[in-house]
Amino acid sequence: MNINATFFAELIAFCIFVFITYRYIWPSMASVLEERRKEIDEGLQAASESKRQLEDAKEESSRVIDAAKSEASTLINQAGSRADQLIDEAKEQATEEAKKIKETAESDIAQSTNKAKETLKEELSVLVVAGASKILNKEIDESANKEIVDQLIKEL
Amino acid sequence: MAKEAANNLVETSDYIGHHLVNLTFGWCEKTSSWGFAHHQQNLSKSLDSACDVSEMGFWAFHMDTIFMSVFLGVLVFGFFGLINRSAKKGTPGKLQNFVEFVHEFIGSAVSSGYHGTSKIVAPLAFASCLWILSWNLMDLLPVEMANFFGQAGSGINYFKILPTADLNAPLALAAVVMVLVTYFSINTHGLGGFLKELFIVPLGPLEFISFVSKHVALALRLYGNLFAGEMIFILIAIMFGQFFMSFSQTLWFLPGLIMNLAWALFHILIVALQAYIFMMLTIAYLNLASTKH
Repeated sequence: MNINATFFAELIAFCIFVFITYRYIWPSMASVLEERRKEIDEGLQAASESKRQLEDAKEESSRVIDAAKSEASTLINQAGSRADQLIDEAKEQATEEAKKIKETAESDIAQSTNKAKETLKEELSVLVVAGASKILNKEIDESANKEIVDQLIKEL
Repeated sequence: MAKEAANNLVETSDYIGHHLVNLTFGWCEKTSSWGFAHHQQNLSKSLDSACDVSEMGFWAFHMDTIFMSVFLGVLVFGFFGLINRSAKKGTPGKLQNFVEFVHEFIGSAVSSGYHGTSKIVAPLAFASCLWILSWNLMDLLPVEMANFFGQAGSGINYFKILPTADLNAPLALAAVVMVLVTYFSINTHGLGGFLKELFIVPLGPLEFISFVSKHVALALRLYGNLFAGEMIFILIAIMFGQFFMSFSQTLWFLPGLIMNLAWALFHILIVALQAYIFMMLTIAYLNLASTKH
């Protein structure tokens, strides 16, 4: 244990190392840590921000989905009622059409029946005249007896 | 048998003596020249002084202490500086993590122990703790290593690799702390207040003695612990050394091995603890000096 000038050498060396630490090492370490701290802070903030945004987006999307759902259901309802309406209309139209067709057919039938009747009447008159003339063996003056025949026909 | 024992004793005390002598470069009165102490080195004849270590006065340098402490300082502070320089912004690497862990550890010790505003305390704590730790770790290297390499080729016969076991080094650190404590005290209490506190209040000049002795104790605590640890390593090494001297002593080999291992493991604690204690006391003294009371 002897104290000598080594003491001063160590003193100077220590002062130099403390100064280097004070001037360079400690501040640079602190700044790196501070930067990292800031970065982490920013990252955390960004994370919470994006979380919030995600929640917003979720809410928004559920809102949109709900709206779409209700819209879809009203559309379906509308479509249903429209379809019913269309069916009703078609039914009505068809009924009307059927009625019309039936009427036409009936009038046609009536017409042709009348026609046939007329034809039959005329033919009958001819036949009657022919028959009568055969019975009478003489010509019946058609024009003379026309009145009677017509009368007859009318009474038929 | 008696002669052998006496021989062993002489060799043992020589061995211990050899391990406690620093490589000294100093002023020799006899020849009025600078040089290494007698027979300490075979490097250069012209640098071999006629004086022994004990004959050199105050103007002598322990070259091994200076070299080792500066070398370790450059290593440690260079490491930290280099890692900081290459620190990337994103995810830190493993070394970066280690550096930041040390920074955080010392930073929290300072912020919890020191409530002043000075920016020098944290760097001082950092520098003293890591420098002392790097010194103390040298104690875990085998005691015989430096001498083995020295005698094997470098031509240096005396080389102590543990700067802490040379009182000059811890005393220099404590002196810096003392100067700073004085400066802080004068800053907070004014010169008059400081002097009054030192010599008058409350126990008179005893306060001055306690002021000086607490700083000397700061150095001696560190020095004593590491010197004693080194001493025990040397004693255990002697136990090993018996192995080569006589067959009957071979039995000491195994206990020596176990004791060496045990002491080394225990010493790791002291190595770290003493560096930590020095740092914490430095912080505490500076805090005490910078608070009004």
